[in-house]
Amino acid sequence: MDRADIVKALRGPGQWGHKYSLWAVYFCTGCGIIEIPPVITSRWDAERFGVLPMATPRQANLFMITGYVSVKTLRAIVRTYEQMSAPKYTVAFGSCPVNGGMYWDSYNTIKRIDKYIPIDGWIAGCMPRPEAIFIAVTKLWHMIDVGAATGWKRYQENYDHYKSNQDQVLGTFQERDEPQGGTVPVGECTPGTGLSG
Amino acid sequence: MQPVEFVLSPLVAFFVGVFFLGFSRKLTARIQRRYGPPLYQPVIDVVKLFAQRSISHGVLFEVGVVVSLVGSVITVMFIPLGRICPLCSSGGLLVVMYLMLFGPLGLALGAGESANPNASIGVSRKMLLALAYEVPFLLVILSVMCHYGTISLAEIVAQQQAGRWGLLSLPLALSALAAFLILPAMLGIRPFDLVSAPQEIASGPLVEYGGRYLAVIAIQGAFHSFIVIALFVDFFLGGGTNVGTFLLKVLVVFAAGVLINAVLPRVKIEEAIKFCWKWPVALAVVSLALSVVLR
Repeated sequence: MDRADIVKALRGPGQWGHKYSLWAVYFCTGCGIIEIPPVITSRWDAERFGVLPMATPRQANLFMITGYVSVKTLRAIVRTYEQMSAPKYTVAFGSCPVNGGMYWDSYNTIKRIDKYIPIDGWIAGCMPRPEAIFIAVTKLWHMIDVGAATGWKRYQENYDHYKSNQDQVLGTFQERDEPQGGTVPVGECTPGTGLSG
Repeated sequence: MQPVEFVLSPLVAFFVGVFFLGFSRKLTARIQRRYGPPLYQPVIDVVKLFAQRSISHGVLFEVGVVVSLVGSVITVMFIPLGRICPLCSSGGLLVVMYLMLFGPLGLALGAGESANPNASIGVSRKMLLALAYEVPFLLVILSVMCHYGTISLAEIVAQQQAGRWGLLSLPLALSALAAFLILPAMLGIRPFDLVSAPQEIASGPLVEYGGRYLAVIAIQGAFHSFIVIALFVDFFLGGGTNVGTFLLKVLVVFAAGVLINAVLPRVKIEEAIKFCWKWPVALAVVSLALSVVLR
């Protein structure tokens, strides 16, 4: 860890910041929620690596997708990812986002998450140990150093590709409280329909 | 008053405030038996936030954070930091009282522009909490002004250094206790961190802020904690004969605040108001009455 290397920090302050200040939004869709609390609290203490949990995607630059991704949560994942500030890194945690894991033949589970949003690193296992998150973080530092963690650039350059993949899955699925087209005419907001579905 | 003090005073506040951010994280980590981040972690965070691309929701969204930061920077100049005090000769406590409101109001203005429901809840909580601690805080200020017979902060500090600390003279000891009880509410730390409660309302007014706006807000927060604690030190702990002793006292008070923050859980907004309007107000009223009678 060259966090205290002042010369290197002054040469590239932005990169120094991106590396050692990873604020994470944990998207806990399933079993991964059990592994995260020991990581961020006293037992494993992720804060010594500069990794902090954040409550909102606007403040975060590390996106951890833990556990399986269903079609319904994919919409929320895409929305969360698009809300994050630009140099942003994604890590898929567990077997399920990699290839479906034990839900490999489920009709309702996304098998490969990187068809829909770019993924910088994978942590395989069902479930991985909390230490695997630190291995992933140090690996991510190396990737940022050599300029390989460019998922957010890939997303911008190949947006049409990702968008068409997303539409293929989400096109037929419409949330009850979300009108088609994205904008809500003021008169049409009827209260109380949000949770009815 | 020298021109160099106009630069020196905010610089001292900035560096001490940023040091506080790191110090509080390290101390909290040690209390929770963790190793914790390095002391300079807030510097890394702020540098990163400035290097990120940031999303704005409109002009007020940007103006709000700037108003809040500028308000805090100007407030620092009215507070004696040891011998450094560029604007001590004018205004005094009355100006400080008004200027301290700029921080919360600017942030409320910016957060309102983001139109996020969590931000609205956070802003309403912030205003209610300000209402809760302003009442005892004004009573404390009033009793300090009555006791020393002046509204000038420099004069209050000079009188304490000639005689006894405010904390050690009888009516003001009660005021000091009242001020210490509302200190966590003014700093926005636990048990009164309900404004930016991350688990409940996704960090409240800051919910839509990211990138360089969040960096400015972090710096403003550092200034704000420094201002609140510097006021406490100037009122009750005799200020400082030079910057060194002053900052030492500030550090001691801040460490006490961090210890409270590390062990207590969060209260609800109605409990916070009930607490602030009960014991601190009672203590401050008794102290005010005594300082009027004994004078």
